Amino acid sequence: MEKDILLEIKQLHKSYDDRTVLDGIDLQVHKGEVVVILGPSGCGKSTLLRCINGLEPIQSGEISLDGQSISSAGTQWHLVRQKIGMVFQSYDLFPHITILENILLGPLKVQKRSREEARRQAETLLERIGLLDRKNAYPRQLSGGQKQRVAIVRALCMNPEVMLFDEVTAALDPEMVREVLDVMLGLAKQGMTMVIVTHEMGFARAVADKVVFIDEGKIVEESNAELFFTDPKTDRAKQFLNIFNFDEEKG
Amino acid sequence: MKKTGRILAAMLAVVLALGTFAGCSQQGTQKSSLETIKQNGKIKVGVFSDKPPFGYVDAQGKNQGFDVYIAKRFAKDLLGDENKVEFVLVEAASRVEYLQSGKVDLIMANFTVTDERKEKVDFANPYMKVALGVVSPDGSQITDVSQLKGKKLIVNKGTTAETYFTKNYPDIELLKYDQNTEAFQALKDGRGAALAHDNTLLFAWARENSGYTVGVSSLGEQDTIAPAVKKGDKELLDWVNNELTALGKENFIHEAYDATLKPAYGDSISADDVVIEGGKIQ
Amino acid sequence: MASSGINVIFEGSNLLRLLNGLLVTARIALVSVLISGVLGIVLGIVMTSKWKAVRSVCRVYLEAVRIIPILVWLFIFYFTLNLELGGEVVSIMVFSLWGTAEMGDIVRGAVGSLPKHQRESGAALGLTNVQIYRYVIIPQTVRRLLPAAINLATRMIKTTSLVVLIGVVEVLKVGQQIIERSILEVPTASFWIYGFIFLLYFAVCYPVSLLSKRLERKWQS
Repeated sequence: MEKDILLEIKQLHKSYDDRTVLDGIDLQVHKGEVVVILGPSGCGKSTLLRCINGLEPIQSGEISLDGQSISSAGTQWHLVRQKIGMVFQSYDLFPHITILENILLGPLKVQKRSREEARRQAETLLERIGLLDRKNAYPRQLSGGQKQRVAIVRALCMNPEVMLFDEVTAALDPEMVREVLDVMLGLAKQGMTMVIVTHEMGFARAVADKVVFIDEGKIVEESNAELFFTDPKTDRAKQFLNIFNFDEEKG
Repeated sequence: MKKTGRILAAMLAVVLALGTFAGCSQQGTQKSSLETIKQNGKIKVGVFSDKPPFGYVDAQGKNQGFDVYIAKRFAKDLLGDENKVEFVLVEAASRVEYLQSGKVDLIMANFTVTDERKEKVDFANPYMKVALGVVSPDGSQITDVSQLKGKKLIVNKGTTAETYFTKNYPDIELLKYDQNTEAFQALKDGRGAALAHDNTLLFAWARENSGYTVGVSSLGEQDTIAPAVKKGDKELLDWVNNELTALGKENFIHEAYDATLKPAYGDSISADDVVIEGGKIQ
Repeated sequence: MASSGINVIFEGSNLLRLLNGLLVTARIALVSVLISGVLGIVLGIVMTSKWKAVRSVCRVYLEAVRIIPILVWLFIFYFTLNLELGGEVVSIMVFSLWGTAEMGDIVRGAVGSLPKHQRESGAALGLTNVQIYRYVIIPQTVRRLLPAAINLATRMIKTTSLVVLIGVVEVLKVGQQIIERSILEVPTASFWIYGFIFLLYFAVCYPVSLLSKRLERKWQS
């Protein structure tokens, strides 16, 4: 089943001063596909996500969304970002407004949608993650897991074409990881196109259509999820997976 | 790094300030000052608003006092109406600037003539003089400084009285206080035989405190008080001097004294201890 | 004795003069605090600029305002520049100049203390730069700088008593005029007048302090 390419990255180079972080990345994400990016800390995974929605300038290469280049000098980022939802590792809700207002800020101010219509969508999404009764609470009144679920809803309410997740469970207490991952699994089932950076191997295996393994700024291995976890081709990927197995055995 | 920034900023500010000073001195009006006053139909006089009995504001909000009384007469003789004067309420610390910037034509705010001020403004002839005085209880009145030998004299720190006695009568023991109220209280408590201060202040105090008299009413170097005009405003300066001479002929300053200072100082003081008639010390 | 002291307040038009003086104080303080608040936020944001030259210019302005005493600024604007403006207008100008600089520095600190990801998550939602400031950074900054801003405002109110040196008769000066006028006959005048002025200040400042406390509590809960 060949689907259309939604996001395409060609020969992406990114460096800070003289340190190369991403060194010629090529990646295709198809519509409805869930891509999980794995790799050791500092390999450039997060930077890759941040380059995709323009939070980091790139040195060379091309990124296009829906066949349109979004890496040229004159890119209207505030328009492009409406199509790319992003959730960060840190709880990034705006602390001075309520949950509902957090979710509505983008739809109302960026997309200029009617309040009534946007509110209905926001409430439907909140209901789905079981937090509708907290809509008038402030972020500080929520647990870390609840905040991350709201952050996901906030991005979803913009009706993006693709969602980027940057280690969204890394800062959470272990008992809250599951509730966030469940929301993401639910999204994957509905056919949302997602690019996920994570260290949760079990989750990665369950959710991914494709796994991309990055080390030292380069894509080392790219394959079907089941294949990657059961039969990695490269030594580095094997090594990487072993570390996690060892960790899991130790409990 | 931060320090350099501060120095830089300070330098810039100084340059800015100097530039504006220079700009101002250039644009000084060349127009005749008397003509301008007559054209405006009023003379702007800087007076005090809280220094009775020289310049103050009464309960109705009107300017009153010795300086004000004389200024009104100036307006009458210059413009034909004593109400054609605009009183600008000045502070001691900004009297010079009011003249320099032309915000007033004349300062009559108990302005003591000093050499330092003469460099910045032009003083007309004086209409008042101040000196040190010594106040003491009626029972053991001090009428001459020689009587103070071996006794304690109360003074205020930093005043001319302190300087004068330290310099000229080192053998008189001084009791020094910061505040006027403390010093006067010390006299009432009998901690000193007498108290030395500006004579005008003592006159007013003795009037309100029966049992005390200013036995020595004029002592030390006399300071004079005079109207002041902007530096170089010779025309107005000459007019004020001529006016003072003319007023001297009718003893007007004495009239002003009777109307404003006498109620505060009482009968025991001679007007000639305070006022200067005709612009010349007799 | 005491009754004659309190009578000084109501003698002639004294009460009206005191209230007028208070109005002058309040007008200068209020207008310059408002101007400083708005311009200070703008300056504070400009001070976080990427360009070093822009930051340096702001720095020079801030340091110049700090190094040179307010009194000197009042003199420079009123006497030296000798603009054809009244003392009250000049006072508002100088106090705004000062307040904007100090407020700018406070805002700069508050903006700088906001976590970077707040700005980024605003950007990720597609907010433009202006919208990020309008909806994310400024509202949070205002909350953070409230205590410092209130402190600045009270400093400004207290410093208004300097304006008398350029001929503006504010409430304290009126009080002084009344006291000096009546002190010989009524030695307790200063007690009553200053007491009354204290009450006037209190009546003006207390609601402000109440409001700020309520806001702080509301934003912190």
